[in-house]
Amino acid sequence: MNASGAPSDAEVVARVLSGDREAFGVVIRRYEPGLLRYAARMLGSRDAAADAVAEGFVRAYRHLASCREPARLRTWLYRIVANRCKSHLARRPRAEVSLDEAPPVADPGDNEAAVELAEQVALVERALLTLSPEKREAFVLKHVEGMSYEEMAAATGERIPTLKMRVHRAREALLQALEDYR
Amino acid sequence: MKRLLLAYVACSAPLAAQSVRGRLEGRVPPASIPVLDSLVQVAAHEHLPTEPLLQKAIEGGAKRVSGERIVKAVVLNLGQLRRGQALLRRAGDTPPATPGEVVTVVWALKRGVPDSVVEQVVAALPGEPRSSALHAIADLVVHRIPADSAAGLILEAVRQGVRGPRLLDVSGAAVQELQRGRTHAEALALVRRELPNVPPPPPPARATVLRARRPGGGAPQVPER
Amino acid sequence: MSTIDPRIHQALDGEIPLATLPPELRRQAELLEAAAALLAAAPAAESVAGRVMAALDHPARRSRLVRWLVTPRAVVLRMRPVWSLALAAGVLLVALLPLREPPSIAAVGEEEGIAQFVARFPGARSVAVVGSFNDWRAGSIALEDRDHDGVWRGVVVLPAGTHEYMFVVDGERWVADPLAGRYVADDFGRENSLLIVRPVKL
Repeated sequence: MNASGAPSDAEVVARVLSGDREAFGVVIRRYEPGLLRYAARMLGSRDAAADAVAEGFVRAYRHLASCREPARLRTWLYRIVANRCKSHLARRPRAEVSLDEAPPVADPGDNEAAVELAEQVALVERALLTLSPEKREAFVLKHVEGMSYEEMAAATGERIPTLKMRVHRAREALLQALEDYR
Repeated sequence: MKRLLLAYVACSAPLAAQSVRGRLEGRVPPASIPVLDSLVQVAAHEHLPTEPLLQKAIEGGAKRVSGERIVKAVVLNLGQLRRGQALLRRAGDTPPATPGEVVTVVWALKRGVPDSVVEQVVAALPGEPRSSALHAIADLVVHRIPADSAAGLILEAVRQGVRGPRLLDVSGAAVQELQRGRTHAEALALVRRELPNVPPPPPPARATVLRARRPGGGAPQVPER
Repeated sequence: MSTIDPRIHQALDGEIPLATLPPELRRQAELLEAAAALLAAAPAAESVAGRVMAALDHPARRSRLVRWLVTPRAVVLRMRPVWSLALAAGVLLVALLPLREPPSIAAVGEEEGIAQFVARFPGARSVAVVGSFNDWRAGSIALEDRDHDGVWRGVVVLPAGTHEYMFVVDGERWVADPLAGRYVADDFGRENSLLIVRPVKL
């Protein structure tokens, strides 16, 4: 048990492997917000993200015994979901466009704060989309998901110097895009 | 340069000087009016549209730019109009090119579509408006899709009967695919496969469209709510 | 692409404390962190726990999961920002929402269309749209801020076709529309926003 009383990842994995399937729900609820966010940024769609993440969790469950370091469960899950995202992107034919795919828009009836927030998110998302997928992924993992470079290396399979360079370039491009709107 | 222009103008049928000066007076620095007038006359003499030049001058004046820079911008635009006109001739349009067509071509060139691609589009749409096709290609070029590939998609859409602003929906669909992380080739191939079915145009604005008013005239209509 | 001061990278990578950066670099680092925070603050998506557990219950099922149908809707952000990005006013948001009532067709000619402008300029006294459609005169298309919340709006009938424009705030500050999506050099060192007005079909 860790300080907050919640079971550690290693404990949960051990429980699932010993037959307690419901315990896997702990893993899902613990990591799905970040994974859904990450997949949505990579795929540009919340629907597709939900698919990729759900498939990722099913795969994770089936291969849980091969997660060599339960203490690094998080990065292992990201690795699996990253692969699902790549496979979604490669898949054909293209998905239907639904309003769900559209970036958040503010209802003109909203108050100023909501419109302001929507504008700012749209601005940042647009700036993010100008990055290549690798740089975008690097920025999201580092700054939105808060991973260390070591965790990112485990999640993506890339070397740390490569990841650092991508994050640095992504920061430069984003800053440029954000400053242009000042 | 100024002397040469005036001499040139003396030999041709000038655009009514009154109308040019009338448009520019009070809108641009007075000292620049004679030169701007001459430039407009040159355009008229070459059967080029003059309105874009007047607009550019007025825009500069509205933005409080110096007379010298206004003249520079108008000279630049005159060059672009000439280039557009020459391109239309090369592409097989029978002269004289209509002002609208020259302006359409200049837009495309300004937005980064190469001459050769513009010519291709012009030739593919004889006697038809080309503005949407050219803007659609420019939309893709701006997203770093090679111009030839962009033209390939849009002209395929044209061949399959897609016309007018619906061509913008074709490029819009391809741009969306790019934003999803597809490569250029994938995005173009995906959209091409859907042709001639094009994603629907964006929905019109909400009931506020009832409050739409025209520029300049009088007070706005009383709103619904 | 310009490079930024390496100290910003060091601070954001946790190698040196953010507090050791000089004010301007610190501002840039904080701008990036604020942008990341905005991305992280996206509204929570629906949980996939249910469908995952259901899939685990039926291992014989093929890996293709039942598609989670999401009712199409515009996502309205309800979170109040705790921070505020120091972005210059001039961000335009064009809201496109499904039509409920038919437009007043009689008021719009065949070769005309509708353009809706929405922009946020808190503290502004006036916001005008100035462009090729009104001879670059400020004052003929004035946006309105009805409820004084800093959000300026206007809906205008314009000739169908291509137009260049900018916003003019308080009669003197020219601002391009960064969300217009299409731009062209104005030949005076800046960029105009480009608007393509589609004809309203009858």
